[in-house]
Amino acid sequence: MKMKKAFTVLTFVLICCLLMVACSGEEDENSASGDSKTVKFMHLWPEGSSAQHYKVVNQIIEDFETENEGIDIELEVLSNEQYKEKIKVQSTSNELPDVGMTWAAGYMEPFVDGNMFASLDDILEEDNLSEEFVAGTTDAFSIDDTAYGLPLELNISSIYYNKAIFDEYGLEEPTTLDEFNQVVDTLNENDVIPVALGNRDAWTGSMWYMYLANRLGGDEDVLTSAIDRSGSFEDPALLKAAEHLQGLVNDNSFVSGFNGLADQEAKSMFMESQAAMYLIATWDLPNYTTNEDVPQEFRDSVGYFPFPQVDGSGDFNSYVGGPGVGLFVSENSEVKEEAKTFVSYFVKEWGERAVTEVGIIPATKIDGEALDLPELYVEVLDDLNNASNITLYADVQMSASAAQVHLDMIQALFGGEITPEEFVKTHEETLANEE
Amino acid sequence: MHRVGYILLYICLGVVGVFQIFPIIWLVSFSLKTNQEIFAGNPFALPTDPKWENYLKVFEGGIGTYFWNSIWITVVATILTILIASMATFAITRMKWKLSSFVLGIIMIGLMIPIHSALIPLYNMFLNVNLIDNPVSIVVTYMTYNLPITVMILLGFYTTLPREIEEAAIIDGSSIHRLFFKIILPLSAPIMSTTVIINMIYNWNEFVFVNTFISSDKFKTLTVGIQNFIGQYMTDWGAIGATLVISVLPIIIAFIFFSDKIMEGLSASAVKG
Amino acid sequence: MDKVMSNKWIITLYILPALLFIAVLIVIPLLLSGYFGLMDWDGIGAMQFIGLDNYITAMQDSKFWESTLHSFLLAIFSALSLLLYLVVALILASKIKGANFLKKIYLIPMLLSSVAIAQLWIKVYNPSNGMLNSILTSLGVENPPAWLADPNIVLYAIFIPIIWQYAGFYILIYYAALKNIPESIIEAAKIDGASPIQIAIRIKFPLIMTVFKVTIVLAIVGSLKYFDLIYVMTGGGPNGASEVMASYMYKLAFSSYDFGYGSAIGFLLLIITLIVTFIIRKATETKDTIQY
Repeated sequence: MKMKKAFTVLTFVLICCLLMVACSGEEDENSASGDSKTVKFMHLWPEGSSAQHYKVVNQIIEDFETENEGIDIELEVLSNEQYKEKIKVQSTSNELPDVGMTWAAGYMEPFVDGNMFASLDDILEEDNLSEEFVAGTTDAFSIDDTAYGLPLELNISSIYYNKAIFDEYGLEEPTTLDEFNQVVDTLNENDVIPVALGNRDAWTGSMWYMYLANRLGGDEDVLTSAIDRSGSFEDPALLKAAEHLQGLVNDNSFVSGFNGLADQEAKSMFMESQAAMYLIATWDLPNYTTNEDVPQEFRDSVGYFPFPQVDGSGDFNSYVGGPGVGLFVSENSEVKEEAKTFVSYFVKEWGERAVTEVGIIPATKIDGEALDLPELYVEVLDDLNNASNITLYADVQMSASAAQVHLDMIQALFGGEITPEEFVKTHEETLANEE
Repeated sequence: MHRVGYILLYICLGVVGVFQIFPIIWLVSFSLKTNQEIFAGNPFALPTDPKWENYLKVFEGGIGTYFWNSIWITVVATILTILIASMATFAITRMKWKLSSFVLGIIMIGLMIPIHSALIPLYNMFLNVNLIDNPVSIVVTYMTYNLPITVMILLGFYTTLPREIEEAAIIDGSSIHRLFFKIILPLSAPIMSTTVIINMIYNWNEFVFVNTFISSDKFKTLTVGIQNFIGQYMTDWGAIGATLVISVLPIIIAFIFFSDKIMEGLSASAVKG
Repeated sequence: MDKVMSNKWIITLYILPALLFIAVLIVIPLLLSGYFGLMDWDGIGAMQFIGLDNYITAMQDSKFWESTLHSFLLAIFSALSLLLYLVVALILASKIKGANFLKKIYLIPMLLSSVAIAQLWIKVYNPSNGMLNSILTSLGVENPPAWLADPNIVLYAIFIPIIWQYAGFYILIYYAALKNIPESIIEAAKIDGASPIQIAIRIKFPLIMTVFKVTIVLAIVGSLKYFDLIYVMTGGGPNGASEVMASYMYKLAFSSYDFGYGSAIGFLLLIITLIVTFIIRKATETKDTIQY
C-alpha cells in the first residue's frame, strides 16, 4: 500500500513542477508586456568578498530606479570564476544579460567579433561622457575605434611592503634590482619570507616578468609591440627579463612553493606579516587603507615603492596595469536603450563613489585634493597623474588562447622548467601563429 | 593470540577512522579561527578565542532560501532517480528482451560524459523550452545525471537475486507490477539505501548546473550561495570555513541520523507492502 | 513464466522513463558536442566546419597526450585502491562491533563538497605552514617538498585526496553486498573448518564478484573523466603537470575560448572511456554468473 502512496505523492510532485513551469512562463510574458522594462545586470562583486563594491552597486541601482521610473534592474551576482563560466555558456546561446562586465582587449575581442556587444560610442558622445574618463582608459575597451565597454577601474601595480619588517632589519625601499636583491638577502638571513607570490594564478608572476621587461626596455614598450606584432618577442630586453626573473627565483626572493599557491593565499601571507613584500595592483588598496576588517596596525605599516630599475635602465613613472573590468551592453538586448541609459548613469555615479566609498581608483577623473582620502591613496593618485606609460597586463592584451600559453610559460619559467630562450621562442611562435 | 589480532585490527580501523573524520573536526576548528591563526599559527591547534561571529556573518547573508532550495531539490531528485533507476534495472536484469544489453550500454554512456561537454548543449535546450532560471531544469538534470551510477550500483544486486523469486511469484499469479513493487523493491532495500545516500550527496554538493541554469536568487542552492564568500579582493578565511560547515552540516546530520531510518523505513514498507 | 517476463508493454513501461531522460539530456548533448568538435568555433558567433581537423590536432598535441597519461595513471591508482577498500569492507562486515558506526565515519569525506575538501588539502600541502610539512619538519626532515608546486610530485599529491575521498563510497557498496550474502553459506564453511581469511577469499569475494566488477568500471570511468579537485587545487598546473583530460578540455573550451577543439577533446575522452570500459568488460567476463 505504502508504495502506491509514494507513487501518488510522486505524481503530485511532478504535476506541481509542471505547473511551476507553466506559471513561470506566464510571468515572463507579463513582465515583457507590462509598462516597466526590466534590465538584467550581472556583476562579479559578491557581498561576501567585495562588500563595499556590492553595497555601492546596490545604492546606485536604487537611485537609478527612483530617477528612472519604468526601468527595473534585475541583479545577478557571481564570483569571478563563476561569472566567466556563465558568460561563456550564455554567449553560445546568444543570451547575455542586458548589462554585464567584461575585461578589456583580448578578452572582449571574440565577443565583439561575434557581434555580441553593442557599440557605446553614442553614450560616450552624449553629455561629453568621454571627457570624464582618464585619457586612454576607454581605448583598451575599443576595437577599431569603436567603444564596446566602459571601464570602471584603473589599476597600476606597485610593490607593497611591510614597513615594520623593513624597519626591524634596517631596510630601505630599493630603487635598483641590486638593492632589491640585497633586501631579499637580508630578509632571507633573518628567516623572513621576502616576497609573497601566488603563482598558481600565473597572472601574478606575469606582473613580475612584465615589470622586468618594462624596465629593461627603457622608453620603448617592447612587450606591447611584441604582442601587437609591431615588434618581436625575441627582443633582447624580453630575453634578458626572463633571465633576470630566474635570477630572482634562484635568489629565493619568493615564498617557497609559489607555483602551488593561489594569489589569495599569498596575499594572506603578506597581510599576516609573514612575507615582507607583495606586488599587486591598486584594486587591493582598500585592504591597506579603508577596510575595517583589516587590523589598523597592519594598515598603518603598509608602504609601497615603484618597481626598481634594472641594469640602470627604466622609468619609475612607467607602470604595468590598466583598466580592470568595464560594462558592456548586449547587442541582442530587447531593452538596449534602457540598458545604455543605465550604463551611462552607472559610470558617472561609480566614478564619484568608487574612491570615497569603495576605496578603489575609477577610470573616470577624480579630484584628489577635494576629497578627504587616506595618505597612501593620495600618493597613488599622484603617481597615476604622473604616469608616463601604462603597459596593459599581457594576459589581457593577448587573445584568450595566447594568454593561456603565456600563463603556462610563466609558471614554467618560474619553476625553472624551461630556459629563457625557450620562453621567448614559445611566445614568438604562438603570437606569430595568430597573425 | 586471537585477542592481540583483534586489538590490532581495531587500532587499524581506528586510525583509518581518524583520517576520515579529521576533515570535519578541522573544518569546524578552521571556521572559528582568525586569519592570523590560520596563517601564522600551528595548523593543528584549536582556535584560542572561537570566533562565532563568523557564523553570524554568514547567516546575515540570507542563506535561508538557499538552504530550503538545496533540501527540496535534493529530495525530489533523489526520489525520482531511485524510482526510475530501479524500474530500469528491473527491466534490464529480470525481464527477457533482446535489446537489454544495448540499452544498458546507452545508460552507461551517461557515466562517461564529462559534464562540461554537456553543459552548453543542455543550456541551449533548456533555453528553447523556457526552462532556464527554473528549478525544473535542475531537478530533471540531477535526476538524469545520477541515473547511470544508480543503475550501475543496483545492477550488481539485481543480477544476484535468485530466479526462484519471480518463478514463485508468477506461479502464484502475481502481476509484474506486484512482483516489482511488493517483492523486488523491498528486497533491494539495503542497496537502495546506499543509492539514496549517494544520490543525496551528489545532489547536495552539485555546483556547475545550478550556477549555469539558475539566475534568480530565489532558486539558487547552497553550493552556489556560498560562493559569495570566496572572491578576489578580500579573503575572510574564517567566514569561508563557517559557510562550508553550514553547507555540509545538514548532509552529515541526515547521513548520521537518518541513514538507519532510511534503511528501516525501506525495509518496513517492504514488510507491510 | 518466460512469457510474462518478456511482455513488451511492461518492458517498455519500465525502461522508457530512464531511457527517455538519458536520450534527451545525455545522449543528445553528447552528439552535439561531437558535432561541435568538427567546427572551428570560439563559442561566440558563427562556426565554421573544418571536418576532422580538431581531432588531427589532438593527435599531435603533446599536452593532450600528457593529460591522457595522467588520467590513466589516476585510473590505475583508483582501481588498485579498490582492493584496499575491499579488505576494509570485509573486516567491517565480519561482525565487528561498531561496524555500522565505522562505516559511517569512513563515508564522511565523501559528504563534503569539493570546495571544502580542496581547502583542507591545500592547507595540508601548504609548503611553509601546512600540516604535512610541519609534521615532516618536526621529524627532522630538512626542506620538505612543495607538494603542489613541484611538477614531479604534484600529480601524486593530488591523487591522494581523490582516492581518500571515495574510500567510504566503495566501502559502503562492498559492505552492502557482503551483508547480502546468506548467513547459511558462511556457517556451512565454518563448520567445514575454513579460516576467516579462507572464507573471505574463497567464498565471500567470488560471491560479490558482480558488484566488484561494477565498481572497477565505476572507479576507472570516474577517474578518466575526473575534474573537481584538480581544478580547484592546482588548475592543472604548474604548467600542465597535473592536467587531466577533463581539466584540459575545460581549459580549452572555457579559458582559451577554443570551444570547437575543447568539444573534440571531450568527445575523445568519451571514446577512450568507451574503449577502456569495453576492454574491462571483456576481460572480466565470465560464462557462469554466480547465483546463490
